[in-house]
Amino acid sequence: MLTPLSEVPVEAKDLCKSFRNVLALQDVSLTVHDRQFVTIVGPSGCGKSTLLRLISGLIPPTSGEVLVRGTPVSAPIIGVGMVFQSPVLMPWRTALDNILFVAEMRGEAGGKYRDRALELIELAGLAGFEQKRPHELSGGMQQRVAICRALLLNPPLILMDEPFGALDVITRERMGFELEKIWNVTKTTVIFVTHSISESVLLSDRIIVMSARPGRIVETFEVDLPRPRGRELLSHPAFVRLSADVRACIENASASAI
Amino acid sequence: MNLLANPVVANVAKSTLAFAILIAVWQVVGQLTQVPEHIFPLPSKIAEVFVRTFPSQVHHLAATGFATVCGLALALVVGVLLAITVIYFASIKGAVLTVLAAFNSIPKIAVAPLFVIWFGLGIESKILLAFLLAIFPVFVNSVTGLGEIEKDMLDLSKISGGNEWRIFTKVRLMHALPYIADSLKVAFPLALVGAIVGEFIGGNRGIGYLILSAQFNMDTALVFAALLSITIFTTAGVGVVVLFEHLFLNWRPSQRAT
Repeated sequence: MLTPLSEVPVEAKDLCKSFRNVLALQDVSLTVHDRQFVTIVGPSGCGKSTLLRLISGLIPPTSGEVLVRGTPVSAPIIGVGMVFQSPVLMPWRTALDNILFVAEMRGEAGGKYRDRALELIELAGLAGFEQKRPHELSGGMQQRVAICRALLLNPPLILMDEPFGALDVITRERMGFELEKIWNVTKTTVIFVTHSISESVLLSDRIIVMSARPGRIVETFEVDLPRPRGRELLSHPAFVRLSADVRACIENASASAI
Repeated sequence: MNLLANPVVANVAKSTLAFAILIAVWQVVGQLTQVPEHIFPLPSKIAEVFVRTFPSQVHHLAATGFATVCGLALALVVGVLLAITVIYFASIKGAVLTVLAAFNSIPKIAVAPLFVIWFGLGIESKILLAFLLAIFPVFVNSVTGLGEIEKDMLDLSKISGGNEWRIFTKVRLMHALPYIADSLKVAFPLALVGAIVGEFIGGNRGIGYLILSAQFNMDTALVFAALLSITIFTTAGVGVVVLFEHLFLNWRPSQRAT
């Protein structure tokens, strides 16, 4: 089990993954440094989600390897936080109990983490909704519960697979700002998959652009915009320039594949 | 007027009214057409017989009820255990399902006389028949409820450190509860059929025996009074399941307050 606060550089070396002889990922190598927010962007079906599942150890690579803190990953890494495209909340649990679920899965009493969970609920702007069931929450609120759940045990690494993909555009943008705000408090290492360019620039320290299938890394952008990043950033020249660069890069990558 | 605005009260009022009209029509038409009592007794006559034979009704219903509830409980335990086996030993799933489907295609009523040969005229053969009729819906629903869990939810549980036992109790079983409750609503009347058929075939106690002896004496009103007993019993049984759902499964879409 990974211990929090220790350095967790994630390293992928020459990862390849095929499904029934269809090559999904080709020679993907990347390094994620501690407390970095790294975003993987690319066209739909480029294997972004597959890459996340490989890193988490949920599926094995066809060739290549993933190292977390220098140790090769061969089984699901216990203690990694995960956020999926859908909130994956249990309808029979309240928001609070859904957040405590990850502690219970570890075999600990959920009650021990109650205060921590309430803190996160506050941070995520869900105060007053902790006793609500998922069906009583909006889509954006459900996803915030899922993010709180991923943060509960201070995981050294959080994997987010298009967490805002199912939300409407307005909620989605707001959630981006919310997550940036939360991240500034927690500073957890995050690998975030998205196909929204502005989301990636807003949130990341580093952006990795992938090509269409088979997924390969085409370019890496360092983002050194100051944090906290607010709404005013959207019109900042550096933000606009970087967004344009990323967009051009993705378009090139997709065009060459077609 | 305010009371009728409550949907539950309104529903009960409507059903009661429908029954009252049905019985009133039966009573009036029966009196006008002078159908002989041994063919089709009037509701007033049935009510009178029911009240007069009440102690004997209770005596016989107790036997039938006991066999039904025992058979149902057995079906619940064995059905869920069988479903668990099928879920965790996926390799035998096909074989078990085929054998069970083959068994289910035998009309259980037709083998009832065999059970009397094997288990005698006592309560055992009735319980076994009730069990055999009730187990299939319990098993099929349990397989669905325990097995059809979102992949993301299982991934989340695994990566959070959940072992098979915790995933079973906190995810699979909780997910299956509404399916199992639903199956009981179907299995309960089926178990009752099993118990009554068992009593038809042999024995000297139970509603099935009462109906058979009343028929022998051409006491049609008593047959109807016995049917009334069974109806009250089934309604109460299904009512218990519905109450359970209302109290413990109130997160289900069908149980949510509107």
